[in-house]
Amino acid sequence: MSKSDVVIIGNGVAGLMAALVSADEGKKVTLLSYGAGTFPLNSGVIDILGYDEQGKAVNSPITGIDQVPDSHPYKKIGMAAIEDAIKYFKKTVADEGFAYTGSLKEQQWLITGIGTLKPTCLLPESLQGSRCFDASEIVIVGVKGLKDFYVDMVKENLAKELGADKKYTTITVDTYITGRDLTTRDVAKWVESDKGYGEFLAQIKGQAGAGKAVIVPQILGTKGDYVVYKKLSKDLGCTVVETTGMPPSVNGIRLRDVLLSALKKKGIRVVENAKAEKAIVKGDKVTAIEAGGEVRTQTYEADKFILATGGFYSGGITMRDFGEYKEMVFGLPVEGDCVEERWVNKQLFSDKKQAFSMAGVRVDDSLRAVDESGNVVLKNVYVVGRNLSGYDFCFEHSGNGVALTSAYKAAKA
Amino acid sequence: MVKDKATVVVVGGGATGVGILRDLSMRGIDALLIEKLDMVNGASSRYHGLLHSGARYAVKDQEAAKECIKENTILRRIGKSCVEATTGMFVQVEGDDPDFVDPWLKGCAESGISTRELSKEEALRLEPNLSRKLKVAYEVPDGAIDGFRMSWQNLQSAARYGGRYKTYTELIKVNIENATVKSITVRDNVTKEEYDIECEILVNAAGPWAGKVAELAGLECNVSPSKGTLIAFNQRITNHVVNRLRKPSNGDIFVPHGSITILGTSSITIPDPEDTSTSWEEVEELMKTGVGVFEHLRDYRILRVFAGSRPLYVPKGAEGGRNASRGFVTIDHEKEDGLKGMMTICGGKFTTYRLMAEKFCDVLAPKLHNTAKCRTAEEDLVPEVSEAEKKAARQYFPSYGVNLAATRLGVEKFGDVVKTLKEQPETREVLCECENVTMAEIQRIAAEPTSHCVADVRRRTRLGMGTCQGNYCAIRSAAVANKLFKNKFEGCSDSLSDMKNFLQARWKGITPVMAGKTLREAEMTRGMYELLFNVNGGRRG
Ligand SMILES: Cc1cc2nc3c(=O)[nH]c(=O)nc-3n(C[C@H](O)[C@H](O)[C@H](O)COP(=O)(O)OP(=O)(O)OC[C@H]3O[C@@H](n4cnc5c(N)ncnc54)[C@H](O)[C@@H]3O)c2cc1C
Ligand SMILES: Cc1cc2nc3c(=O)[nH]c(=O)nc-3n(C[C@H](O)[C@H](O)[C@H](O)COP(=O)(O)OP(=O)(O)OC[C@H]3O[C@@H](n4cnc5c(N)ncnc54)[C@H](O)[C@@H]3O)c2cc1C
Repeated sequence: MSKSDVVIIGNGVAGLMAALVSADEGKKVTLLSYGAGTFPLNSGVIDILGYDEQGKAVNSPITGIDQVPDSHPYKKIGMAAIEDAIKYFKKTVADEGFAYTGSLKEQQWLITGIGTLKPTCLLPESLQGSRCFDASEIVIVGVKGLKDFYVDMVKENLAKELGADKKYTTITVDTYITGRDLTTRDVAKWVESDKGYGEFLAQIKGQAGAGKAVIVPQILGTKGDYVVYKKLSKDLGCTVVETTGMPPSVNGIRLRDVLLSALKKKGIRVVENAKAEKAIVKGDKVTAIEAGGEVRTQTYEADKFILATGGFYSGGITMRDFGEYKEMVFGLPVEGDCVEERWVNKQLFSDKKQAFSMAGVRVDDSLRAVDESGNVVLKNVYVVGRNLSGYDFCFEHSGNGVALTSAYKAAKA
Repeated sequence: MVKDKATVVVVGGGATGVGILRDLSMRGIDALLIEKLDMVNGASSRYHGLLHSGARYAVKDQEAAKECIKENTILRRIGKSCVEATTGMFVQVEGDDPDFVDPWLKGCAESGISTRELSKEEALRLEPNLSRKLKVAYEVPDGAIDGFRMSWQNLQSAARYGGRYKTYTELIKVNIENATVKSITVRDNVTKEEYDIECEILVNAAGPWAGKVAELAGLECNVSPSKGTLIAFNQRITNHVVNRLRKPSNGDIFVPHGSITILGTSSITIPDPEDTSTSWEEVEELMKTGVGVFEHLRDYRILRVFAGSRPLYVPKGAEGGRNASRGFVTIDHEKEDGLKGMMTICGGKFTTYRLMAEKFCDVLAPKLHNTAKCRTAEEDLVPEVSEAEKKAARQYFPSYGVNLAATRLGVEKFGDVVKTLKEQPETREVLCECENVTMAEIQRIAAEPTSHCVADVRRRTRLGMGTCQGNYCAIRSAAVANKLFKNKFEGCSDSLSDMKNFLQARWKGITPVMAGKTLREAEMTRGMYELLFNVNGGRRG
């Protein structure tokens, strides 16, 4: 196998972004992919910083970032790289026909599948919730047989957020698909088909109209192309808003497909089902990665390696027993406050960050792992995304933001 | 204000209390049971669920061993759908004391507990996950018992004889005149209303809280709550109950329940029975002992950790903890303390709850000039759903939930649920995939007057008790059930808060084991509820 300039390990948001940016730097890139990443879970919106240290809503992500502690990945990535990364991401998805709205200056709001509001930074237009703030009537559309989207619950919570002076109506449409429970993906396919679209439109048209806003689950087509969304907005003559909800997330998959399409255009080699298992190290540098393929182990040589294996959720880092952390590919040092009194908050939905969610690889400003005295462990290995220590992506709403911006910085290094 | 009246009021909705309610009702005595929270709030669900054969007590306490084997046989008969007749195994591994075997065999024989020696090969064939360091194995008639279901079926049985019960009704005061109990004051913990109930006899069956209840009547009753910690694994590691064949100590027993296995337990004397906290150290101690019997124990996913306290009665000057007697006492406070109209029952085991009730009621009934004989061993707790009914139901049930639902629900409710499934096909949606619970069942249970929050529905349906630990069904059940509750429990006033509380209760069980695969699950839960649903609310600040 011919040697690459950069090998990227992991195919989540961070891995795909790192691959794209590296290729634009003129590098020969190989991406080792394994599993699905969190795309099918994470709704494909880019949170940068939703809440500050005290749990207060951040109105302007750029100001919020300024105030995070020094141990936070954003401080290591630096504002310049963050701004460039956002620009880069927006251009990439726009070029693919799936433009995202939002900027670092002003927080965006979306409507969740239970009717609460969620702050986020960049998102597809179809998910932008603030467009319905001025509507006189909110029409909430459920789907018969679709779990996890309950119109009454959406109505109850949305009315609390947007005020009781609006009118809230609920309807439930029938897909005429029988015999099984449906997921948003099934319904999105139905809406995308000519027949399904007609049936869908016929059932909601009477309720929609000027001045109203129609709230739906993530069902406006499976593709990141706005085709169904634009058509429906026109046919209904009003605002249509998608919501975030239980996996599988149609929009997460849209984003993945869009990024993979961009990767393909840049000729990046993506090796499927290649689980990185071992690093070959010479001195303080890695020369190659051994990855298990379907049939046998392959060796991937490169000058530079980017580790985007997704932390605890995706198996990049494990902790079999308390304190026994393991970064699975390079054995990099992991830091975390694994002390019984602090490791897990008594409250699940806590007003404090959860220590276990902040555990990760300790890195310096170049995003390379460092030992306890601050010395870089492996000179040509960069760590990105959920693998990083020092932030709680759930508490502060920053998951895809850290993933994108750290990947950008590592790729540029 | 007096709002209710009963000849006997039983305090405590655990196995002991419900057993007494059934017994009294069957003898024709007018009785009312009150429970401060939901039924089976204490030791009777926070326990191991072993239907003892008695073999565990064969060496030290043959009296208890004999009671166990007798009751074991009775409960298998009257409570078929609550018992898993797994049979049990007593095993020794390398290092265990071989001299313990003979006295144990002798004790079993004398107590009437059958034992069968298994060759190492046979034992490993029956239970392939057992340690290769296995030395000896015996089979005994242990089983597994579902504490929630058993208790509820006792209540249903009592209700058929006129017995009544109230949940979320806490005894807060005992009203005494002339050294006689006249009435009690209770608080409705849902509506917060306080009122009086008149009674002739007050029965303190509050388990580990019995000491506190006695205090309300100005009496002293030395109950020493002894906390035990248990670990639930996400696999059926073993089909038999597996006991370590040695002097009873911590982490000795594995009990399979449906698709899970529970390992336990420990024994720590605590001042307050409300304390159900667990620590890393307790978990590790159990695990360390457990790997002796199942060497791959650390590779299984832990679902949750929980704890409960035993109602150990300690006569003055005696020892508490594991060395305290597992027997029980009946205290007639008229004789002991000169207070007429109050009795306490304390101690014992789940396995012997029926016998305890029988002996207790044999003392109580004559006080009311009632001479009826105990009949609780003669009659099944609930009628079973017939095969014909199950067969007819199959066409409306999604996937293979019929048997589970039939045993969970019992004849009457099962009939209601099947009718709904037939008439309203949209209610066939499976809201809890782990335990196969349909929307129709959840709606049926939620509409009962004793349901005030999703957790109540959980305890009656097993919703959220399986592999996903509520990750997927929390939103579904909250959205479907919360609007059906007539009165809502504190902090569960709408579907969002109810959902959060439900997940919080599950969280408590997983925090002590936040390592290994549990970390991944936790990131998933947080991602879904904090990010995708932003349950903490939007523009807060
Ligand atoms: C339920 C849920 C909802 C979320 N919602 C949001 C949201 O709304 N907005 C937001 O911004 N963020 C959200 N997040 C957070 C966000 O998904 C993550 O923080 C972010 O995407 C992490 O990206 P990553 O690329 O570092 O990791 P991942 O997406 O986890 O990707 C890592 C990839 O590496 C692969 N991998 C692991 N080990 C190896 C190996 N040895 N060899 C090869 N490949 C390997 C994995 O299989 C996986 O595909 C959510 C997360 C969850 C769990
Ligand atoms: C860790 C552990 C493992 C065990 N394993 C087994 C086993 O495997 N097999 C077995 O047979 N036995 C086992 N036991 C023993 C068994 O669980 C108990 O003996 C039995 O459940 C006690 O039942 P109870 O009704 O007396 O008490 P509880 O079940 O605790 O019931 C007492 C009830 O009283 C209520 N109450 C308290 N105060 C008030 C008030 N003021 N007003 C109204 N209600 C009130 C409480 O809420 C509670 O529901 C175990 C016990 C523990 C702790």
